[in-house]
Amino acid sequence: MTAPAGERLYLVTGASSGIGKGIALRLCGLGARVVAIGRDADRLGELAQECGCPERIHPEIRDLAADIELLPQYVKGLKEKYGKFHGMVSCAGISEIRPLQILKYENGKRIFDINYFAPLMLAKGLLDRRHNVGRGTSLVFIASIEAHLADKGMSFYAGSKAALIASVRSISREVAASGVRVNAISPGDILTPMTAAVEGMRNDRSHLYPLGFGTVDDVAALAVFLLSDEAKWITGQNYILDGGHL
Amino acid sequence: MTHEEFLEKFQDVLQAEDPLGMDTVLEDLDEWDSLARMATVAFLDSDFGVQATFEDFTTMKTVADVARKAGIAS
Ligand SMILES: NC(=O)c1ccc[n+]([C@@H]2O[C@H](COP(=O)([O-])OP(=O)(O)OC[C@H]3O[C@@H](n4cnc5c(N)ncnc54)[C@H](OP(=O)(O)O)[C@@H]3O)[C@@H](O)[C@H]2O)c1
Repeated sequence: MTAPAGERLYLVTGASSGIGKGIALRLCGLGARVVAIGRDADRLGELAQECGCPERIHPEIRDLAADIELLPQYVKGLKEKYGKFHGMVSCAGISEIRPLQILKYENGKRIFDINYFAPLMLAKGLLDRRHNVGRGTSLVFIASIEAHLADKGMSFYAGSKAALIASVRSISREVAASGVRVNAISPGDILTPMTAAVEGMRNDRSHLYPLGFGTVDDVAALAVFLLSDEAKWITGQNYILDGGHL
Repeated sequence: MTHEEFLEKFQDVLQAEDPLGMDTVLEDLDEWDSLARMATVAFLDSDFGVQATFEDFTTMKTVADVARKAGIAS
């Protein structure tokens, strides 16, 4: 597989934990440079140490749910600081179980801000042709299998991810003529800090996964493939990655 | 909105590398494709409340024409 390596520059959000961290590590291991975004400075620091090539990790601390309107300018600033991007993996997100009885508009806005609006406004910045390398640029959005399921208490979360998948299709059409690609991955349950917080997940849900729960590496492998030139004929797609669940 | 502000905003809408001038001919821009036309129509609507259609581009030839359509005095 042609790795998206060399001197390529990628933006990875949610790089301080879980799936985003795994993807940042893998890209860095392949020789790419990574602008790694998170809110937690200590954990971003750990990422730089763990990767063994700290000079290729550029940590950036930013709350992506704040000043969402300004995210395209933020990307412009990153381009001026680090160079033109070859792509982005959008992983930053939150998950909350909220049955209808306790559903609040405020919760919905919070979830949509970080899971939907922030990724789209970052994409707006990155897909500005002045900020990417043009042909070969590839964006990957981490959605969720919840967008395709009917799980109780997931209405806002599932909605935010389904919205992301729908927008990926629309955006892919807008940028295809420039040779730029945009795809989504919908992972099933992956063992990360996010799912560790959901008590009892392992026991309750393990029977749903014929191949067992997923790992961060499973998602990173597909994300890196979609970023690479091997995937040059793939755009506007959403890949369900779920160990045989659906 | 001043001419300068308009030029800056319209440059971002077109994602043009080089600054625009009022006399820039739209067809001369590499960036002037169907998506740029769509973005210009949406820009006129969202920022100026002006309804335009693709037909209008038969007469809107320059950046100044778009500014005039937006209601910015020449
Ligand atoms: N784990 C799963 O089973 C699973 C399944 C399907 C989809 N997903 C999706 O995969 C993505 C990553 O999940 P994960 O399990 O790796 O989660 P995680 O370990 O909880 O990590 C979440 C990441 O998002 C970042 N983040 C959250 N809010 C942010 C904000 N306002 N501004 C900037 N960064 C913010 C966090 O950064 P800081 O900690 O530095 O603030 C952290 O790096 C999410 O979009 C999630 O919905 C996960």
